[in-house]
Amino acid sequence: MTQSSGKPIVKLTGVTKTFAQGGLEVKALRGMDLTVNEGEFVAIWGPSGSGKTTALNLIGALDTPTSGQVELEGTDLSSLSRKALSQMRRDRIGFVFQAYNLIPVLTAFENAEAVIALQGIAPAERKTRVMAILKEVGLEGMEHRRPNELSGGQQQRVAIARAIASNPAVILADEPTANVDSETAEKLLSMMARLNEEKGITFVFSTHDPRVMKYARRLVGVVDGRVDTDRAKNSGEE
Amino acid sequence: MIVLRMAWRNVWRNSRRSSVTIAAMTLALFVELLYAGLVNGMFKDMEDDITEMDFGDVQVLHEDYLKRPSLYTVVEDHEAIMSRLDEAGYAATARLMSGGLVASGEFSAGGAFFGIDPVQDTKVLRLNTAVAEGEWLDVADPTGVVVGRGLARTLSLDLGSELVVLSQAADGSMANELFTVKGILRSVGAGLDRGGILMPADTFRDMMVMPEGAHKIIVRRAKNQPLEEVTAAVTALAPDAKVMNWKQLSPMLAQMLEGVNSMIVIVYLIVYVAVAILILNAMLMAVFERIREFGVLKAIGYSPFQVVSMMVLEGMIQATVALGAGLALAAGPMWYLQNNGINVGNLAGMSMAGMTMPAVWRGDYTLGVIQVPIIMLFVIVFFAVIYPATKAAWIRPVEAMRHQ
Repeated sequence: MTQSSGKPIVKLTGVTKTFAQGGLEVKALRGMDLTVNEGEFVAIWGPSGSGKTTALNLIGALDTPTSGQVELEGTDLSSLSRKALSQMRRDRIGFVFQAYNLIPVLTAFENAEAVIALQGIAPAERKTRVMAILKEVGLEGMEHRRPNELSGGQQQRVAIARAIASNPAVILADEPTANVDSETAEKLLSMMARLNEEKGITFVFSTHDPRVMKYARRLVGVVDGRVDTDRAKNSGEE
Repeated sequence: MIVLRMAWRNVWRNSRRSSVTIAAMTLALFVELLYAGLVNGMFKDMEDDITEMDFGDVQVLHEDYLKRPSLYTVVEDHEAIMSRLDEAGYAATARLMSGGLVASGEFSAGGAFFGIDPVQDTKVLRLNTAVAEGEWLDVADPTGVVVGRGLARTLSLDLGSELVVLSQAADGSMANELFTVKGILRSVGAGLDRGGILMPADTFRDMMVMPEGAHKIIVRRAKNQPLEEVTAAVTALAPDAKVMNWKQLSPMLAQMLEGVNSMIVIVYLIVYVAVAILILNAMLMAVFERIREFGVLKAIGYSPFQVVSMMVLEGMIQATVALGAGLALAAGPMWYLQNNGINVGNLAGMSMAGMTMPAVWRGDYTLGVIQVPIIMLFVIVFFAVIYPATKAAWIRPVEAMRHQ
């Protein structure tokens, strides 16, 4: 198992997840073990139905495992109340979704501010922080636009801005490049790689996009709900 | 703040649906405001008629008067009691009462005779203002009487008509007198209407050979003074007499007036429940359309409480807009109904449990009256929203974000 030297942020131990689908039991995860350390840029990859999105949902406290343990920064998520889980998602986890999932009635600025507005941060500080982040993701001057006035790539940048604004422990990105063209995908990935390098933000991707795997510095292959391969890429390796 | 901002914009993202919901709330509030004021106004007028024209607030009676009303069951020391009431700051007037036969021309009827101090009575009650034709009693005109509207009709009395009164005096002799009608009352109460003959107290005493005592002392309280408190105070001032307030004297009437509020609330509920169903439907549609969005909000850390707050705020924003529109729409009609009222025509004088319908039905639009439908609107909106809001709040983010 390949890991960076940072402290563990995410730890999955013997995690299983079973769904009932059309009266049948579907075993999405069959005992997954995985540790992601601080500062890593990890891609969980595998074919459709392999369990990568389910794993990401469990790490993001969006779902609960059937058995096994999911820990975030050493906290067992199953021990937390609903309220504590909401706070955990708000303060320690950033999400970037395939379909961007911005709030349509909010502007780019307000979407990026949507999480930190709940954290009790003073409006002036929020503004400074969000404007800096929007500039960093290349959306300077677009802060007043609503999602329907932005391209797919720009919307995904807003989603990334929203995810990093709260200084989370980890950003979980589920197929973030699936809905954008190649050029935009490259730009988004290079931006996230830069944020990882410069700010040390931990990224965990769920993907089967080779472009993501090109940027990832650790590849975790998932097959049939288990980690099949886990390897760190050497520098310069594509 | 961001929750409020989202709520505000969510209201207007489907402006047609929100407008319909707001219009329904506005219409309901408009109807409720007018209705509440009119019903309160009608019963307030009726209650005022009872207390200001007839019962007063509190009455001092002979211990047995209610069980055995007769010429002889009088409060003996009524002057001393009235003097004590006056010293205590209560306005009071004495009433003498008896019954007998009244005849005019070819017609005759049973009559209720009231001996009244023409001057003092006007300081305590407003019965003198209920003279629809002619004039109020005058001590200088001892045989001039004021008669009830119903009696005037029965005996075909007009101003200046003569009528003969026959009864038995306190000493057992035949009491009889010839009177002239100097005033006819409008409808103020069933008893006075049907057979009331008001005459100066001195005339009554002479006719009925009753030099002392009074059958009742009618006491009025100061505005906003609690009725029970006044009843207790008057009881202390007249320890040997029976003291009862108007609610005790006419419990059915009191219950009916107290029941008015329940009646109003039932109508509020009927109208508002219809609106609530509309709001519930609109909000459920909004939740269904925004399932994915609620999933995202939950995923990025919004608590169920924050989601509920947002939905409740959306309802409250619509209710607030409806409040403004409803008040603006109702202001003119409310002003008109309060100041001019509705002429009820033939319904005037119609009696309900001893109370009489006023000729002009006026609305009563005090803050106390209009606040009830307003508060109820917000309460109903809250309850209509809480189910869809809770549904949205407990949505599972994973499932919600898969929703197409």
